[in-house]
Amino acid sequence: MEMKVKKKLSENILDKFTIDFLRSQVLKNAYGNDDTVIARLDPRILIVWYLFLGLIPWFVNDVFFLMGCFLLVVVTTMLARVAGLVLFLFGIGVFSQTGYLFIATLLFGGDASAIAPLLTLTLKVACCSLASITVFSGLDPDRLSNGLMWFGCPERLSFSISYAYRILPMLMEEFQNILLSFRLRGNPPQAQTFRGKVKYLAYQVKTIMHAFYPLMLNTAKRSRTTVEALEIKGYRLAATDKRVKKMRLASLKVTWDDLMFLAVSFLWISLSILISTIF
Amino acid sequence: MNIIEVQNLTYSYPGAEEPVLQNLSLEIEKGDFVAIVGNNGCGKSTLCKTFNGLIPHFITGDFEGKVTVDGLDTRKADVGTLASRAGYVYQDFENQIVRPTVLDDASYACMNYAMEDYRERGREALSLCGLEGREDDYIWQLSGGQTHLLALAGAVSLRPEVLILDEPIAQLDPGHADRIYGVLRELNEKYGKTIIVIEHHTEYIADYCRHVVLMKDGKVRWKLPAREALSRVDELRECNIFPPQVTAAARKLLEKGVSLPDGPFPTTVEEGRRYFAGLSWNGEASVFQKKEEDGRSHEQKPAAVEFRDVTMSFRSVKGEDRIVFDGLNLKVNRGEKIALIGSNGAGKSTLMKLMVGLLKPLKGDIWLDGENIRRKKTESLSQKISLVFQNPEEMFIKDSIEADIAFAMQARGVAHWQERTEQLLRQFRLTGLKNRDGRLLSGGQMRRASLAIGIALNPGILLLDEPTANLDMATRREIMEALEAMKDITETVMIATHDMQLVCEWAQRIVVLYQGRVVADGSRDEIFGNEEITRLVGIRSPEIFAMGRALDDRAYCYTVDEFAAAFAGGTKESGKVVGR
Repeated sequence: MEMKVKKKLSENILDKFTIDFLRSQVLKNAYGNDDTVIARLDPRILIVWYLFLGLIPWFVNDVFFLMGCFLLVVVTTMLARVAGLVLFLFGIGVFSQTGYLFIATLLFGGDASAIAPLLTLTLKVACCSLASITVFSGLDPDRLSNGLMWFGCPERLSFSISYAYRILPMLMEEFQNILLSFRLRGNPPQAQTFRGKVKYLAYQVKTIMHAFYPLMLNTAKRSRTTVEALEIKGYRLAATDKRVKKMRLASLKVTWDDLMFLAVSFLWISLSILISTIF
Repeated sequence: MNIIEVQNLTYSYPGAEEPVLQNLSLEIEKGDFVAIVGNNGCGKSTLCKTFNGLIPHFITGDFEGKVTVDGLDTRKADVGTLASRAGYVYQDFENQIVRPTVLDDASYACMNYAMEDYRERGREALSLCGLEGREDDYIWQLSGGQTHLLALAGAVSLRPEVLILDEPIAQLDPGHADRIYGVLRELNEKYGKTIIVIEHHTEYIADYCRHVVLMKDGKVRWKLPAREALSRVDELRECNIFPPQVTAAARKLLEKGVSLPDGPFPTTVEEGRRYFAGLSWNGEASVFQKKEEDGRSHEQKPAAVEFRDVTMSFRSVKGEDRIVFDGLNLKVNRGEKIALIGSNGAGKSTLMKLMVGLLKPLKGDIWLDGENIRRKKTESLSQKISLVFQNPEEMFIKDSIEADIAFAMQARGVAHWQERTEQLLRQFRLTGLKNRDGRLLSGGQMRRASLAIGIALNPGILLLDEPTANLDMATRREIMEALEAMKDITETVMIATHDMQLVCEWAQRIVVLYQGRVVADGSRDEIFGNEEITRLVGIRSPEIFAMGRALDDRAYCYTVDEFAAAFAGGTKESGKVVGR
């Protein structure tokens, strides 16, 4: 019975982990959550918030404080409704940073006392990662780039961020279709035995590498039109025009919600500092 | 008043030896609706890019002569100023969209040119282009037709006097195509914009345009009122343009010695109704034409592919999954030539991908040659069934077409694959091009190469996704010939297409998909004769068919030849024009 469930599970994961799935997750992550509390916040406020929660934990070793930060970013990540894949990658990331150390410690005769120092490190990593995830995946790329521009990042960078999100779905579709071409015409090794499975995996990796060549060329072909269109639309002109920047940033507005968000975060962090001083 | 004046323009691209445009002169009046026609590579797009200053400001090269747009010399004005005089919509319009949301993209140019009211201008442009209410949508939520309208809105937002569109309907189904032209007509008639389209769908030219410019070898051959222009059947054919079927029919009847009224040929069904009024239907000819279809039968032949209660859905970014098929049943018999039709997004490509195993159904099963393919890998099916993608670029995975054609055979260790590759190159007349990268070939060559790749493994079943989209007459004929030549190898062929002329000339059986269901399945007569279905799905039957039925309800003509045969026989009242 258990075997069956396991088999089903592994099949399911393999089934789901396709380029199509990746594409939908990326899209979901970029645009699927524009109606959340986090997405409606002013990007500048969020960037400041992020600078605090992404930096300060590195310099503090107090577990209560770190725990407080961690709980806060867990809540904001939930509010931002981040796509499953990102959270999964986050999990793997944290484990690869510290989790394996704990297992190694246990294996080589360590005991639970190893948890404490590892916990601090894990909390630091987790806190910063979740704060980044909240900001970069909770905010719609366009608002994020506007926010960055306000802080003086060059226009080209902020355009690149939003343009990257604009073409990402197109690129992935193209990539998917090229891979389909390989599948239609290629002939992968049999994957029954263990050796076969390894070979099969190697074949897949090779195919993905080969697929990059046509992908690049097809993209280059498409971008000819894009470059001309950008010229017509005055992109080059606008990069040097101060008025345009002002017009773009005029859409940014700090509202009561933003202040509330900051106040709640501030209160929570203060509370955790208070608790840590009491104990 | 002329809004565009071109005087003695000669232009060659940087590094090119031959000029693309040679001593070209042209005048376009304000408020006109002009179609520019000509064979592939005659310089149509190049000419249009001189109107908005991309040439010579952005694309340099040798530029001689003078182009004025709305009184401005394009050499003296900058691209920004010119963009507010002449807007441009590309053939590959989706690459023209650079912002993630609809309103943002529509107002992007206005913002870049520092217009304070950029949002209002964007909104105004969207409402002019029929995209009201979609302002906050993301661009990938739009259909192909809507994306085109958005590209148009991006140009309209700068309030230019002239709008230039390069092959606006090449990738669209008839429903969307009519909508685009409807918007253009309104911009032209209500708002006085001058519209210039590069177009080879002459039925649309006949319906919407007032003047036609014929280009050949970098020169303007003539500019004439649309009806007169389209009546010049021979000259159009010489430039690889299909004249409207009604016009071609008039020409054909005249050749057969049928007496017809003087004056220009008809170009639309309406004009044809008056022009051909003197003719009467000669029933026997049509009965003769229909004989071959009656010999066809569904049941006797074994099934090549069978869909049994197939359900398929895609994940969507927000909300519920999108269901493409819900309990689809379809049987494709061996030896059939099937056309799969339906609007954009009806599930045609999905159906084909399911057949080759690239997609797996959520529920239900697909049987190929009596085997369930649920547990089969695509790779193991490819000797039985093959799919040629709509976009040939996506089939070129190696750096030369020779390597591309050989790829599948090499991977399977097919005996004599070298000889077979050579033979395929010869068959599709690609031998001279064999070392070129597929992407760098012309449209027609690319299609031929993709077909050669598709049949390399001698599949018994061949699936083609839109094989004739974007092709001019010569290239289209080449593809038809290639299909004919493959007849012995590929027994069963299915084509997904919007090209109703192709459907009528080629298909034995037509399957109509509508919202993921097969709503009709039968012969040409059963599909095109069923008004309920054509109206429901938005099928635009070939013009000649509509013409035949407009003259006589019993006439079912699908090609110009059939029409000529069916109406050549008798003339009522000896050829006099009789109004109805």
